[in-house]
Amino acid sequence: MTGAITTRLFSSLLVVLGSSMLVFIIMYLLPGDPVLIMLDGNASTPEAIASLKSHLGLDQPFYVQFYRYFIHLLQGDFGVSRVNGDLVLPKILEHLPATLTLTLVSVSVSLVVGILLGVLSAIHRNGVIDFAARFIGLFGISMPAFWTGILLLLLFSIQLGWFPAMGSDGWKTLVLPGLTLGLIGAGFIVRMVRNTMLEVLGEPYILTLRAKGLSERSVMYGHALRNSLIPALTMIGLTVGELLSGTVVTETVFARQGIGRILADAILSKDIPVVQGVIFFTAMIYVLTNLIVDISYSFIDPRVRRSQLKGGV
Amino acid sequence: MNKRRASNWMKFVLVSAAFVLVLTGCASSKGAGDTGTPKAAAEGSGSSSSSGGELSYALATSPDSLDPGKSGYAVSHRVFRNIYDSLVSELPDGTFKPWLAESWTKSADGKSYTFKLRHNVKFHDGTPFNAAAVKATLDHTQTLTGQARTLIGPFKSAEVISEDTIKVNLTEPFEPLLSGLSSAFLGISSPKALQQYGEQYGKHPVGTGPFKFVSWSENDQIVLEKNAEYNWGPPIADNKGASHLDKLTFKIVPEEATRIGSVQSGQVLAAETVPPQNILTLKNDPNIKLDTAITNGTPYTLYFNTSNAPWSDLKLRDAVRSAVDVDTIVKTLYLGTYQRAWSVLTPGILGYDASLENSVKADAAKANQLLDELGWTKGADGIREKDGKKLTLRYLESSPNREKRNDIAAIVQQQLKQVGVDVKLTITKDTVTPLTQGEYDLVGNSQVKADPDILRNLFRSDRVYGKGGYNYVKLNDPGIDKLLNQGYQETDPEKRKAAYAQIQQYVIKNALALPIYVFPYTVAHSSSVEGLKFDLLGYPQFYDVTIRK
Repeated sequence: MTGAITTRLFSSLLVVLGSSMLVFIIMYLLPGDPVLIMLDGNASTPEAIASLKSHLGLDQPFYVQFYRYFIHLLQGDFGVSRVNGDLVLPKILEHLPATLTLTLVSVSVSLVVGILLGVLSAIHRNGVIDFAARFIGLFGISMPAFWTGILLLLLFSIQLGWFPAMGSDGWKTLVLPGLTLGLIGAGFIVRMVRNTMLEVLGEPYILTLRAKGLSERSVMYGHALRNSLIPALTMIGLTVGELLSGTVVTETVFARQGIGRILADAILSKDIPVVQGVIFFTAMIYVLTNLIVDISYSFIDPRVRRSQLKGGV
Repeated sequence: MNKRRASNWMKFVLVSAAFVLVLTGCASSKGAGDTGTPKAAAEGSGSSSSSGGELSYALATSPDSLDPGKSGYAVSHRVFRNIYDSLVSELPDGTFKPWLAESWTKSADGKSYTFKLRHNVKFHDGTPFNAAAVKATLDHTQTLTGQARTLIGPFKSAEVISEDTIKVNLTEPFEPLLSGLSSAFLGISSPKALQQYGEQYGKHPVGTGPFKFVSWSENDQIVLEKNAEYNWGPPIADNKGASHLDKLTFKIVPEEATRIGSVQSGQVLAAETVPPQNILTLKNDPNIKLDTAITNGTPYTLYFNTSNAPWSDLKLRDAVRSAVDVDTIVKTLYLGTYQRAWSVLTPGILGYDASLENSVKADAAKANQLLDELGWTKGADGIREKDGKKLTLRYLESSPNREKRNDIAAIVQQQLKQVGVDVKLTITKDTVTPLTQGEYDLVGNSQVKADPDILRNLFRSDRVYGKGGYNYVKLNDPGIDKLLNQGYQETDPEKRKAAYAQIQQYVIKNALALPIYVFPYTVAHSSSVEGLKFDLLGYPQFYDVTIRK
């Protein structure tokens, strides 16, 4: 088990490093001279441009720049923002908690709403609840975050005044953005849970359980649901990526702090070190979440635990 | 079973219909401008008298730095104007009054100014305000490339004559100096804080202004509080003592629906940059007041690159100008809330030539006739050709998200297509390359400045792009250079005005530029907010603001 986790950790590290390198290459290949952009093409002599270039190491060939970037990264040095000279790492660490909290709340909303509606929908197959749940699921998947966000904002903040429209202090500011993002994930999970529940309910062992005289409640929640959760969990691992990209829009709509908004600003001003830093952390969160999901399989499904024990080095 | 399923379907349809109704219901009542009852006078504003309380003000973008020497953004100025005072204050009529300087004299050659400074003024960190502080601030601007450095022009040195006397030396006469010094970009910083925070000063600003800096949480808010000792306000303010407000909080809210909705629901007391469609709605809202101020400088203008053939030809440029219907553009896009521009200066700036108003008009027939005369004939695709070359115009736009500038580009493209000109549109934030290489025929730009000397940066032959200037037109006319120099060196305001009038007429006569609109700075605020004023540049002034109970 520990061996399996170590292997996974190692491969996760490779994924994070690989994605950082990919971003470096993409940013390198993008048109536009970062130094000229920094200087706004103005008030600068060719000497000034050259000196700034060499100061930033941008006069070096690609492989030297890449090597330097990589070595610095391994040492935990993310560089400084080209816009205002802020250190990238502290800047990201300052804004990361807000994004993590939002992601956590959204994942919780996705899980609770998704599993609840999915189960209800499967139990009351083709009933009103089923149709309503599927409608909400479809709504969550198909509506872009900024649209859902603005609808929720108009209704619950501006019309009804229940929750603040902006800010990042306190749980109240988390409700609307959490719902906005959570509904996206919930949409996927509702459909997933409903389908697997229906599939599981058709399995012969459910018939056996019922024949043994187990209560319907125990059949549903003790056996059918538990067996339907694995695909839902996998889904969570995948939707975290979706949620993280959704934070870019959601943080802007609800004027929240977070790395999504920093990323958007950095891309617009071609602040490459900041973009790279944020991508690094985003990749890290994504990989870690999927690792946790993988590990949690073994808690839910004894078969996975056993096979990992056998196969583990 | 079938029957049951059918009734379930009915229920589902009803439920979802109700859901949709709830959503659209709230949307339509929004559209009608009936926002219900905004929860009166919002959070934190629980003042019982006309004094005290907190003003929350939603900004559309975030300042980059609160170091006035470093920043070039209007939004930074809106925030740090409250933290810093200036040596002089510019009145709406373009004259100057004492502020931190009690009086000043200009040397006979116009190359040095001596300021007598006010006594008993203290910075927020307790440092006394004196000549050394002014020198430290002015020297600081020279180490950076911000707006401040441009505003102070040919600055040579600052000499401390005595504790309360400072002499500013220039390399040549520079008439816009006082105007520059009146801006918060040249607001006076605490020398102690400049020293203490170094590179990080932009996050720890210390001035002598009516508000002290408290905190800045990035992308969230900037909090300022009242400077209780303040009694050296500018002459344009009614207030003579400390600010009426206890607290001034700038929230950074990029999404316009959120920003405007928050004012309507009372979650903030004021919000800037109101989109035109909301202006009309908010005008009918009894709880909201709408303020508009003209931002002075150059209006949003499309500049021709006259160094590129065939656009070096005046007649061809004139044809394009005749084909572009600016009235329609401005009316369609801004619903009557923006003013059309007629010159390359805004009305309200010294030297604005009002005689240019209505001097050009859209006339597609004339455009066609001019193009025919020049020998450009329409090809099979409707685009004109001459000697096997198509008539194309490369249009460069760098701020598409501002004030629907991308829509202007699209309409111009359509209008020019009608007369057979093919517009190749490039919308990009990265304009450095095309501008440096001259790969454009038309480019849009606007600038904020209180002095007409701004034109020097746009039209003097040496002010080329990449060397500190914005001569998009690539104009190289010794006569205009002379007038532009006269404009900033001449001491007689009447002569300055005359020089600038000549320059503006020249630009329009030669169809070097197509002025489009004058940008109004708009603020929507709760009707409980009183005394909000705007300075010459359209920047809001919070010192006189009170919040009614």
